[in-house]
This record gives sequence, C-alpha cells and structure tokens, in this order.
Amino acid sequence: MGSRVPIETIEEDGEFDWEAAVKEIDLACLKTTNASSSSSSHFTPLANPPITANLTKPPAKRQSTLDKFIGRTEHKPENHQVVSECGVNDNDNSPLVGIDPEAAKTWIYPGFVPLRDYQFAITKTALFSNTLVALPTGLGKTLIAAVVMYNYFRWFPQGKIVFAAPSRPLVMQQIEACHNIVGIPQEWTIDLTGQTCPSKRAFLWKSKRVFFVTPQVLEKDIQSGTCLTNYLVCLVIDEAHRALGNYSYCVVVRELMAVPIQLRILALTATPGSKTQAIQGIIDNLQISTLEYRNESDHDVCPYVHDRKLEVIEVPLGQDADDVSKRLFHVIRPYAVRLKNFGVNLNRDIQTLSPHEVLMARDKFRQAPLPGLPHVNHGDVESCFAALITLYHIRKLLSSHGIRPAYEMLEEKLKEGPFARLMSKNEDIRMTKLLMQQRLSHGAPSPKLSKMLEILVDHFKVKDPKTSRVIIFSNFRGSVRDIMNALSNIGDMVKATEFIGQSSGKTLKGQSQKIQQAVLEKFRAGGFNVIVATSIGEEGLDIMEVDLVICFDANVSPLRMIQRMGRTGRKNNGRVVVLACEGSEKNSYMRKQASGRAIKKHMRNGGTNSFNFHPSPRMIPHVYKPEVQHVEFSIKQFVPRGKKLQEEYATETPAFQKKLTPAETHMLAKYYNNPDEEKLRVSLIAFPHFQTLPSKVHKVMHSRQTGMLIDAMQHLQEPTFSEQSKSFFTEFRAPLGEREELDTGLRVTNDPKDLHSVRDLEVNTSQRKAKQVESPTSTLETTEKDYEESSPTHRYLFSSECASVDTLGNVFVMPVPLLFFPNVLESDNTPLPKTEKQHSCRNTSHIDLVPVDTSEKHRQDNISCKLKERFSPDGASETLETHSLVKRNSTRVGEDDVANSVGEIVLSSDEDDCEGLELSPRLTNFIKSGIVPESPVYDQGEANREEDLEFPQLSSPMRFSNELAGESSFPERKVQHKCNDYNIVSTTTELRTPQKEVGLANGTECLAVSPIPEDWRTPLANLTNTNSSARKDWRVSSGEKLETLRQPRKLKRLRRLGDCSSAVKENYPGITEADHIRSRSRGKKHIRGKKKMIMDDDVQVFIDEEAEVSSGAEMSADENEDVTGDSFEDSFIDDGTMPTANTQAESGKVDMMAVYRRSLLSQSPLPARFRDLAASSLSPYSAGPLTRINESRSDSDKSLSSLRTPKTTNSESNQDAMMIGNLSVVQISSDSRKRKFSLCNSANAPVINLESKFAAHAQATEKESHEGVRSNAGALEYNDDDDDAFFATLDFDAMEAQATLLLSKQRSEAKEKEDATVIPNPGMQRSDGMEKDAPSFDLGLW
Amino acid sequence: MDANNTFDSDLIHAIFKHIWARRFRERERSDAIDATEAEVALGTTKKNRLASANANALKLSCELLKSFVSEAVQRAAIIAEAEGMEKIEATHLERILPQLLLDF
Repeated sequence: MGSRVPIETIEEDGEFDWEAAVKEIDLACLKTTNASSSSSSHFTPLANPPITANLTKPPAKRQSTLDKFIGRTEHKPENHQVVSECGVNDNDNSPLVGIDPEAAKTWIYPGFVPLRDYQFAITKTALFSNTLVALPTGLGKTLIAAVVMYNYFRWFPQGKIVFAAPSRPLVMQQIEACHNIVGIPQEWTIDLTGQTCPSKRAFLWKSKRVFFVTPQVLEKDIQSGTCLTNYLVCLVIDEAHRALGNYSYCVVVRELMAVPIQLRILALTATPGSKTQAIQGIIDNLQISTLEYRNESDHDVCPYVHDRKLEVIEVPLGQDADDVSKRLFHVIRPYAVRLKNFGVNLNRDIQTLSPHEVLMARDKFRQAPLPGLPHVNHGDVESCFAALITLYHIRKLLSSHGIRPAYEMLEEKLKEGPFARLMSKNEDIRMTKLLMQQRLSHGAPSPKLSKMLEILVDHFKVKDPKTSRVIIFSNFRGSVRDIMNALSNIGDMVKATEFIGQSSGKTLKGQSQKIQQAVLEKFRAGGFNVIVATSIGEEGLDIMEVDLVICFDANVSPLRMIQRMGRTGRKNNGRVVVLACEGSEKNSYMRKQASGRAIKKHMRNGGTNSFNFHPSPRMIPHVYKPEVQHVEFSIKQFVPRGKKLQEEYATETPAFQKKLTPAETHMLAKYYNNPDEEKLRVSLIAFPHFQTLPSKVHKVMHSRQTGMLIDAMQHLQEPTFSEQSKSFFTEFRAPLGEREELDTGLRVTNDPKDLHSVRDLEVNTSQRKAKQVESPTSTLETTEKDYEESSPTHRYLFSSECASVDTLGNVFVMPVPLLFFPNVLESDNTPLPKTEKQHSCRNTSHIDLVPVDTSEKHRQDNISCKLKERFSPDGASETLETHSLVKRNSTRVGEDDVANSVGEIVLSSDEDDCEGLELSPRLTNFIKSGIVPESPVYDQGEANREEDLEFPQLSSPMRFSNELAGESSFPERKVQHKCNDYNIVSTTTELRTPQKEVGLANGTECLAVSPIPEDWRTPLANLTNTNSSARKDWRVSSGEKLETLRQPRKLKRLRRLGDCSSAVKENYPGITEADHIRSRSRGKKHIRGKKKMIMDDDVQVFIDEEAEVSSGAEMSADENEDVTGDSFEDSFIDDGTMPTANTQAESGKVDMMAVYRRSLLSQSPLPARFRDLAASSLSPYSAGPLTRINESRSDSDKSLSSLRTPKTTNSESNQDAMMIGNLSVVQISSDSRKRKFSLCNSANAPVINLESKFAAHAQATEKESHEGVRSNAGALEYNDDDDDAFFATLDFDAMEAQATLLLSKQRSEAKEKEDATVIPNPGMQRSDGMEKDAPSFDLGLW
Repeated sequence: MDANNTFDSDLIHAIFKHIWARRFRERERSDAIDATEAEVALGTTKKNRLASANANALKLSCELLKSFVSEAVQRAAIIAEAEGMEKIEATHLERILPQLLLDF
C-alpha cells in the first residue's frame, strides 16, 4: 500500500506524544465528566464537530488521523479546546457513531464459558487495536471475535459491525456461533450473502447492526455505497490468510481506509501463512497493529489442545500404477531430452520432476530465452514445456490419486487443445492410455483406496459409528467420486456423502450451497458419519465430533494441511492420517512440512521482530478505561434465518383481510382460522342420506361419478327394517374400500322377532332395528338376544358407533350406514320390508326415528341416530337399542375405518344389541380376515345373551378395565351400565357388548355380518317367534338380561378388538364422568362430545333440555375424547393387526379425532333433525326408547345427548331418563339399571376370566354356547394382539368388581338362565351361520 | 358466457399467486429438509419457479370458478328453501357438497 511509508514514519513520531497525549486526554475527560453531569447526553452531538474537523483537515493529515491513534491524539487537544471538553474523546470514535458512556465503562466477557487465559488476553488486546489473531484451529477464535463484536455492539449504540467469512456455510456457522456465545439480539443481526438481492441488502444495511457477510458482498456494497461505511465500528475478518493480492478482504479494507473512517479490525486465522512475506502482506493489507500468535506448544494454550495424532502412512504406488507410470515416463523422456538438447536446464532427474518445477523452468525460459537458441525454435521449446507440464501433472495425479483421475485427465487433454495435437500421433501415449484403460476395467483398487478403507473400518470398529465423524480430504473431485464409490461397498456403518464446491464440471456436478449446508447439518446430526470433501471442507468447519481426518493426498501446502488437521481434535482427541505415496509425494510432503515449521519462529513474541505493523485507532476514548465484567448471558435460542422467515410468512396476515368487513373476517375465522380445530369444517359425510338422492341442480348437471355415488349410497343406506320391534339391524360393514359393493355388509338381525311379538306394536321399530342390526353378530345376537338385549344396550353402542362411523365417514365412512340398510334389507328381505312398513307404523314411534335418521340424519350419525331412535322405541320395548347398536355396527361395518371406529364406537356405545351387532360386524370383519371364529362369536353372543347380564357386565368390566387402563372408567361404565341397563343399562351393556363384541367379535362380527343376517334372520325370526315370549320376558324382566348378554358379547368384542374395546372403554370413562345416562352416552360422548362441540349450535333447541346433561357430557366428553383418541389410536393400531378392522382402523386412526369432531358437527344437525323427527315421532315413541336412543347416541356423546335430550324432552320420560341416566325413563330401565349395575359387577367378574365367565355363562345356558364363547375368546385373542392386555386389564377390573359382581352375577345368571334357555339354540345356529357367512362377507365387505 | 358476470380475473390471479407462493414456500421448506437427498436429483431446481397462468387460462379459471360457486349456492339455496330457511347455512352446503364436487 502506498500509505505504508508515511504511516511508519508517523508511528515513530507518535512514540513520544502518545503517553502524554493519553494523560492529557484522560485528565480532560475526567474534568468534563465531573463538570458536566450531562456529558453523556452531549456525546453524540459533540461527536460531529471533530469529524468535520477531521474531514476538513488537509489531506495530508488524513492518513495519520485515520490510521494512527497517536496522530489523532496530537489533534485531540486542539479539537478538544476548540470544540468542547468532551470532543477530545469523540475524536476517537468513528465519525457518525456515538458511544454509550455507560457501556463504555466496562467490557463484557462471557462468564459461562470456562475462561481461557489466552482467549481473554487476546480479546483484551483486540478490543483496543487492530489485531491479527493466529490461533491454531479449534481453540476458539470465534469466541474472541464474538466478544469483541459484542462489546463494540454495546459501546456504539448506532455502530455497525461486520463479520466477514469467506464462504456462505462459514457465514451461517459463525452467525450461529456468535449468537450462542454472546447472544447479540437476533433482530440486530443479519447474514448478507450473494443470495440476498442488492436492493434488499441496502435496506438491511440500514436497519440492522451486526452483519455476517461474505467478503465479496461487502466489497460490492461498499463500492456501490449501500454499505453505510460511516457507521462501521468493527470489522472482523475470518480466515484472514486469504487477504492477499486483490482478494475482497484487501479491497474492502482499502476502501474503508480510503473513506476515512476509523474502525476496529480483527483478523482471525489459524494459518497466517507459510512465508514471512505472506504474513507481512496480510498485516499490510489489513492494517494490523498487533499480532497475537499462539501455537499448540504455548503454555497458555496447550491445556486446551486436544491430542492430535498425525500419522503419515506410506502407500506403495501399486503394480498397476507403477506400470502406467513407467509408460508415461516413456512418453516424457523424449520431450525432456529434446528440451535438454535445446539447452534448457531442468536441473533435476527427469524421473522426479514435478509439474511445478517444469512450470518454473518455463517461466525462466520465457523471461530469459536461451541465448544460443534461434528464435524459430522457441515454439518447439514451448510445446515441449506444455507437453511436459501436462504429462508430469498426469503422473502426479497417478501417484497421488490413482489411475482413474489420471486417465480422465489424459483423456480430456487428448480430446482437444495443443496437447492433443502434439500427442495425437504419439504411439507411447496411446499405449499408455490403453494400459490405463485395461487397468481400470480390471477394477483393481488403488492401494491408497484400499488402505483408506482399511483405516476407516478399523476406526469404526473402535469408535461408535453413530458418534464418530470422519472427514476425508482429497484435492480432486474425480478422486472424491472414486472414494465415494469405494465407500459405498463397505457396509452400513459408513454413511458417506460428498462435500464439494459449487461449480459444475463436465463429469461431476457441484453442490449448491444449500446442499452444502444441508450436508453439514446432516453430518452434525449424524445422518452421515463420513464426509468426502475437497478443499472447501478444509477451512472453518466447526464440527466437534470429527475424530479422524484422512488426507487422501499429501501433496498440499502446509497451510492447507494445518487447516485439514484443524478439523479434528476440537472436542476430543483426534487423529489425522495422511496417505502419501512413496516416492515423490512423500518427499514433497516432508519438504513442505519443514518449511511450515520455520515460519512459526517468526511469529513468536507477536512477530515484532519480523513484521512491520500499522497503527490503529483505539476507538474507545481514553477517558474510558473499560473494566472487564464477566457476565452470564441469557441467550435466546438461535433461530436459523430461513425458519424465521418462514414463520413470518406463516403469520403474515393476508393483504385481502384488510379489505374485509369485520363480519366477513369473523366469517372467515369461523371457517378457516379456528384454532379450536376444524369445528366448522365442511363435512362431506355429514349427510349421507342426502347422497342417496340426486340433489337438485341449477345449471350444472350431475356427472356420472355422482350417479355412481348415489347408487352406492342407496345401496349402503337402504335400511332394512326388521319387523321385529327390537330386533336387529343388519349391520353393514360396507367395506369402505369397495364402495361399489358397500352394500355387502348389511344384515338384518332378527332379534326383534321376540321383540316383535312383544313389541309388535312397535314391530316396525324392531324391524328397523333388524335392518340396522349389525347384521351378523349383532343379528345373531340380536336374533337370540336381540329381543332381550338388543333393545336396551345397542342404542348407545350404535350411536357411538355411528359417531365413529361418522368420524370415519368423514374420512370415507359415509357409505357405511347406507350399506347397512340395503344389505339388511336384502338379507332380511321379508323382515326388512316388513320393517320398513312397520317402520311406518313404528315410525310414529321408533321407526320414524330410524327413517328419519336414515333420511335426515343419514349423515353418518344417521345410523346411530336411527339406532338410537330405534332404541328409543326399543326403550319402550328396550329392544330398540339393540337395533341402534346394530345400526352402529352396521355403520362400523360399512367402511373399514368406519368399521374400526365403529367397532370402537360400538364398544363405546356398548349397547348390548349394538355390541352384538357391532361384534357381528367386527366379527365379520375378523372372519373375513380369517381371524374370527365365527361360531365362537355367535356362541359368545348367545352365551352372552344368555349370560348377557353377567357377561355384559363382565364385558363392561372388561371394557372398564380397559378403560381403566386408559382411565378409571369402571365406575363410569358401571354407571353407564346401570343407566343403560334396560334403558340405560342396556345401553351400557350394549356398549359393553359392542366393545366386547368388537374386541371379541371382530372376527365374529365379520363372519357374522354376512352369514348372520341371513341365518340369523331366520333364526332370529324363529327365535323371535320362539323367543318372543322369552324376549318379552327379557323385556319385562330380561331387558337387563339382554343387556347383559350383550355385554358378554361386548366383552368378546372387546377382547378381540382389544383396541376397540379400549377405545370403548375410554369412551366409557368419559361416560362415567357424565351422569349415568351421560355415562352411557359418554362412550358416545367421546364421539358425541366432539360432535357436541359442533352440535351444540345446531342442537341448541335440544340443548336447553340437554344443557345439563350435555354440559356434563361435554366435560366428560372432553376427557373422554382425549382418552378415546388415544385408545382409539391404540385400538386402531391393534386392529391394524386384524386384517379387516385393522386396515380400517389404521386408515382411520389419524383422522379419528377429526372425524369424531366432524361427525359431532354433522351429528349436531342430525340431532336437530332427530329432534324434529323425534319430536314428531318421539312423542309416539316411548320416551324410554328415546332416552335410550339418546343414550345410544351418547356414543357420539354430545350429539347424542343433545338428541336424547330433545327426545327426552319430547318424551316425558326422556328427561327422566336423562336425569336418571335414561334408565329411569323406562321403568324397566331403572330395574335394568340395577340389574346393569349388578350386571356390571357380574361383568367384572366375567371380566376377570372372560373365558371362564363365558364358560360359566355357557354352562348356565349351554355348554355349546360356552364353547362358542371360549372359541370366541380364543378367536379374540388370536385376533387381537392386545387381547392379553385386555384380559389383564379385565382381570384387574374383575378383581375390583368381583365382590359386587358376584351378587349381580347371581341375578344376571338367573336372568341369563332364562335367556339362555331361549338363546342357546339361536346361538348355535348363529355360530354356524356366522362361520358360514363370514367368508362370503369377507369378500363383499373387504 | 358474458364477461361482465364473472369473477375479476385479477382477483383470481391474485388468489392463484397466493396459493402458488405458499406452495413454493412449503416446497422450499421441504427442500431444505431433504436437500441432501436432492443432491442426487440436482438440476431440478427449476421447479422452484413460481407457476404462472396466461390470460386465457385465467379467463377459463374464472369462468369455472364462477359456475362452481354459483352452482353451489344455487343448490344450497334449493335445500335451504326446502327447509323453509331464508339463509343458506353450512349444513345446506354440506348436503350438496359431495355431489357437487363429483359434478365438477
């Protein structure tokens, strides 16, 4: 630099004045501070005058003021006197930047990092003079820089600080490192790289204070003026050894010096240079006044230096390469000889020449052509040189990197250019090439590669491949690729990636910086444990875990070797392996290391003896003697810039929102920005019933797809109405997957026949139930039990199932419900029509509900609603519930997800009938899956029916236990059971049974679904006929029994469906929270609760009545939801193991919550509809049924509850039921509640040993049924992985409840016995039917 | 269809661009995540350009959207009317939505 001379002279001059000046200044400052209390406030204003003074001073003085503190001190007195007392100090500041006098009293050193003396000392120096810090790698240069930056950040509130690092990855690394050391607020920091567009940079230069930049950006911005140079107070230069020649660093500093501004320069490097001149060049270029040098052996550094073992491994060239090398030499020799003949002195053995030496010789020749050589020959000489350089280079490549890179280079050179012309006719070169080609095709690995692999493998044997990191350096991308190829063959423990520069060559593509960063990130995180890097990996990468560095080529400068070595030994001891080919490569390596060592001597003692330094401003006025202050920073988590920006985008309010009216905004928020989740998300499955008919169109006609949808929905939703009042629903499990045949799943259960007789009045409802009845199991059960059980329990379960279906439906489920009906209808053909017709009859009471549900509610909930409604009629007869359950089951069955969820739901709904129905679907599913022993299920169902009182209870306990596992749901369930009993109890039992059925009966359900409907229907019909009396009995006395029976089924289902049951159980807990009624509905509530959320609005009318219940229910529902969500997931997962249910469950799991919510939402409308319908029909219906329905609906707690409430309201008894838990509504229900309680108790006992219970039940009733139960249980176990767990849970519950249960069992047993007598045969038949049917259904459904 | 009775194409374009920009950001985000995987599939960076639409495509989009919206409203209105409501509620839309979506 031109200014060097003057500066030096000034420096000498300054020696004298300095001390005196400082004293003077200090004195003056003290005076001023004492004199004027407001000095601080004056500072900034005062700062300007001196500046102008400086600027207006003669140019000659500028240099000195700029560069030399002393120079300025000379002026200070003048300024001081002229301007003000304070002005003196301000002179030291950069012109436009005020200093914070308070902050300037101290300087901060981070207290939480272990103090290292050398860092502290260097920092202290660097704060007050331009410093070149030469610290070995990994010793914390960044900390020094960060501390200096931070203090300048504090001292100069308006000052801008620049940190320059040579590459973007380094910039990003340093910005984070600095942040983590001193916590400069991130709102002030910004990284500027070439990626930031200039206009934005200009803005950022103004708005930010701390900049992490690449030197090129800095250079450009200074030149374009966008960088506010006047505000710069501190410039940190990383990897300062690059500051040579015209590198951006030098340009930047020159520009800044030219501006006249004063700023602190801090240069950091590990390798200042290998030659004295180079270091002096850096010092000159960067205006350095102090050199802080430490090396590993310095006493204050060595404690922190990790041991770094350097190994130089000599690798033989290898036979192949040796051959090629000899060939090459044949090519070389003629040219070398020719050169010699020309008189060129190559001064060494041509065997060992390096391309560099040839290059030097050529330069020498060019500068001083040989005297005796005619001018015409110069061209020849030049071409010889050119050829030799290339050849020697190839030879070097060959020795250090192997044949392939050399071959590629040769091939490239031979393609075009002077070398190609020269060599085109050279026979030797052609032979050489051929030889290389051969060797390559042999695939013989180079000795270096194999040695490297060996080292790597050994390394990873010792170190954990997960924590250890390795960097392999190679000079050429070609060999990087070779290394990568070699690494790919050595096994899993090496996860290697390449790390190369940006430029894309012909053969290899570069890595964009984004990818480079990603690579580093992954390398840090452990995604890779080996990086194969070119020179870009050498500098600055701060990766703590690297414990091995392999230098694939040794022939690099000592500077780079140090940098390479610096990548390791940072946190732990490191190891460096240098692979050097014997011969020239090794020799040159040793030579270069030796020269590197020599330079260190020069830098001892701050290099004062060897280098000339430049003056630099102190920056901080001498008034201030900053005292060190160790401060612990509370540093906020560093937010990478990219993410921050994205977050900003995310929270960015769309521009259009400003133009909206508040009402519009509110509307938008209602639908789109609702943090409470998709409360108001439009549901596609909310109104399945509407999809059975083409909607009226305006202009756009329906498409073919719509037609298909309508057809499918019609198939799915055709309700089969069993004439029997209580009877069944055929469940459909419409296989979601097979929409076309969604209908398959329907089966009507006949349960109702007995009910019919009993309920014949309400036969329609029973038929409805039959239709809805989950065809297989439920039907079976229903057939036998239906009369007894179906009515009460099913409701809840079904409703819940429906809800689940809905939820599922949201996903896809909608069809399911639809499916039920058609199938049921088909299967039950006779019954269905009857049922339908009857529906009309009953519709007034229950049937209406069903139809209404179907029609209006067709929404997923429709089924449940229908079921519920049916149940409500049943409630009247109490069998309706079963129907609802069946419906639920059917809904479950309808779609896989639905089925799964339904299963769960069913379980949750727990109505016995529902359970039975549910079970049947599930069983059918299972059967389809092949898991289910159909017969067992049926048997169980029968047994359950018979034993229902016991089993249901047991099952409920089982569920409870399951629930308890999730939560303590026993009481709730019990309560529910109680409530459900008969009315409520039945629901609970139903719920339980569904659960059980779900668990146990998944398989059975699956099987049962298809077969059951038909077989059962007939059986049911028979049963109904035969059982009608029994059912009547049931109804009268056995409403409970039925429920209990259902419960056993549920237990089975639960077992089988373990997951489902658990989910159900969860639901139950929710129920427990709610009133008993609520408890019933709780299972449903979980779903309903969600629905309720949505529903509430719609249901408001209902809500009034329900409000109490719903509030409780909601509360419980919320809890339940959570629990259920989990349980559902679990159950789904478990189901996942199950073929049919699993798939559905799996698909449905994720969306279950959403589905539920949606379903709830959708249900809400449904409830309203129901209400309407119910209102109309409810009155006819017995309030009990309604309540039951409500209970059954409780599955979708809120919606159901809301529905129930309306219904209940409609029906006088409903309220009572609500109050009591629905049970009260029906007299039977109350009884049944008791019974249910007892049943629950008994159920608990059964729970303990489900099988045993079943067996007991069977014994009580029939051995066959026992077997069936057992087999079911076995099937359940087989089916569900969780069965064991369930059993375990059941056992626990059972243990708890056993004592109480025993009594209840006795009761239930008695009832069961009664029931059993009726039921056994059906059970047998059912089981048979189930088994038979199961296969067929599998196809259809799944 | 008459040009006066359709959506403002500028509006539609703005909406499109909004969506594209969001997608773009999402993609960038995911790109950053699997950038390392991307090293295999380099050269796919062109996908990062924002999508655009020419004038005719926009016009057509406007028309399609208009007919979609109007159809949805009309159908929902029919339902609402049938229920004796004066206001179209979300539930009305829900009822016609599945078929509507399939019709388009």
